[in-house]
Amino acid sequence: MAAGAGGRSAAEAYRPNRYVSLPAELDPAAYDASPEKRRAEAERLAIRSQLKRQYQLQLNDPHRPAVIEDPALIRWAYARTQNVYPTFRPTPKTSFLGAVFAIGPILFWISVFKADRDRKEKLIKEGKYKRPLSLF
Amino acid sequence: MLKIIIPTIMLLPTALLSPKASLWTNTTTYSLLIATISLQWLNPTYFPHKNMTPWTGIDQISAPLLVLSCWLLPLMLLASQNHLQQEPLVRKRTFIVTLTTIQPFIILAFSATELTLFYISFEATLIPTLILITRWGNQPERLSAGIYLLFYTLISSLPLLVTILHLHTQIGTLHMPTLELTHPLLTHSWTGTLSGLALLMAFMVKAPLYGLHLWLPKAHVEAPIAGSMLLAALLLKLGGYGIMRVTLLMGPLTDRLSYPFLALALWGALMTSSICLRQTDLKSLIAYSSVSHMGLVIAASMIQTDWSFSGAMILMISHGLTSSMLFCLANTNYERTHSRILLLTRGLQPLLPLMSVWWLLANLTNMALPPTTNLMAELTIMIALFNWSTPTIILTGLATLLTASYTLFMLSMTQRGTLPTHLTSIHNSNTREHLLMTLHIFPMLLLMLKPELISGVI
Repeated sequence: MAAGAGGRSAAEAYRPNRYVSLPAELDPAAYDASPEKRRAEAERLAIRSQLKRQYQLQLNDPHRPAVIEDPALIRWAYARTQNVYPTFRPTPKTSFLGAVFAIGPILFWISVFKADRDRKEKLIKEGKYKRPLSLF
Repeated sequence: MLKIIIPTIMLLPTALLSPKASLWTNTTTYSLLIATISLQWLNPTYFPHKNMTPWTGIDQISAPLLVLSCWLLPLMLLASQNHLQQEPLVRKRTFIVTLTTIQPFIILAFSATELTLFYISFEATLIPTLILITRWGNQPERLSAGIYLLFYTLISSLPLLVTILHLHTQIGTLHMPTLELTHPLLTHSWTGTLSGLALLMAFMVKAPLYGLHLWLPKAHVEAPIAGSMLLAALLLKLGGYGIMRVTLLMGPLTDRLSYPFLALALWGALMTSSICLRQTDLKSLIAYSSVSHMGLVIAASMIQTDWSFSGAMILMISHGLTSSMLFCLANTNYERTHSRILLLTRGLQPLLPLMSVWWLLANLTNMALPPTTNLMAELTIMIALFNWSTPTIILTGLATLLTASYTLFMLSMTQRGTLPTHLTSIHNSNTREHLLMTLHIFPMLLLMLKPELISGVI
């Protein structure tokens, strides 16, 4: 690799930052994997290949089901749509969120509208309310 | 009026006695015929108020809703043909009978001149809808959906019944044209305030208002397509229409009472639009967009000016047609993939290009693109609210922005993107579906040319 400006090598110039993680090819640890890491990799590969085998068994089945379901997707969709209330628990964070996004803005906007309407009512009663677009 | 109600009631024996081969043809063409006869109500020669029978009358805010309810019945029948194909004949007849039972009650509700009759028919539409959702929905969650729908509406309408009976004994009549001539009865006392709240709550739940809207996503999602169309296009409008009718009884109370409802409606429009951006379920997205649009309708109905009522009317009609069309489109997806998950229903534009035209049109009207009537309605409501109080423009403007963003999100998720890999073949769109979409978009396009028909003014 040609040396960059200032004589830095590519590995030094392209460190991971907040927006970009280090690709596997530039990570020196990718090539000396510890035994734990290799075992973990092997486990993940086994899970992936089992899922792929199940999928391909259904895909190439002569009596193929009309829709091949992905159980992980179904669990995820269930968790996001139907399992929200049963797994809800009032915590300081959720109470704060509820107050800030649900109760607070309602009270805020009620007070804003009321203040604005009262101001307008006062102006009308004093006769000072300007109606620039009036047809009269 | 009788020439609409009697044929609608006679639709029941038609559905029960038609031979199998012509069941759908008979009921659909018959209801289409009733719909074309109902178009005469849009003719504005009899307004401000036309008394057709001693108990029913139409004026310019009920006529468009009546025409919409008559128009929607053939569309609902068209949309339900596919998922009922496998059912035995008796169940098909039962389904059509349930659908057509709602029809006379809705017509009666929108044309009632007596508030008690309005209440009775308002409640009567609940039972067939409940049957539709809990019997013909597709997922086991339909039971909880039915319970939410039933109990939310019933709990909020019991105070309404009590207040209606009390007002009847106080005023002596509940005939709505006469009520406009009586002096307002409710004062700022506790009794008056609670009566006013009781009058409004049932319709706020039905409309729905943001804090009371929990039944709506459940009911819309779990209902079969005809149930979703019915709920979105008609039953929600019962709430908006009820608010418009009932606020004439409430007199000086709305000065104080309108603030919480306005804040809830406008903030709710913002909140539900933001929820739409995070939805994983397509029908749920459309259901929350219904809440958002009806929030604007409630806000407009609470300030009770001419322009705001007019905007609320146009929005109710255009939202009815748009939302119903979106549910039909989502149903065509569901019938092909048997899944409502957005990630699984992607990339339809290369697969079904003609249907993507309807998707585009429905989404364009949903985000209130000029020159559709949705835009006319939203602009009218925004201007009326701005005149009422200046800071509302922040909320309505943000709501419009979020509406456009979640609509584009829905469009790009369903039409563009990677094709689903787990499907090997999907049926091509058939003529019935194209006809259904045409019949939805056609009134919207025509109304662009003459919006005075639905705008609630002479």
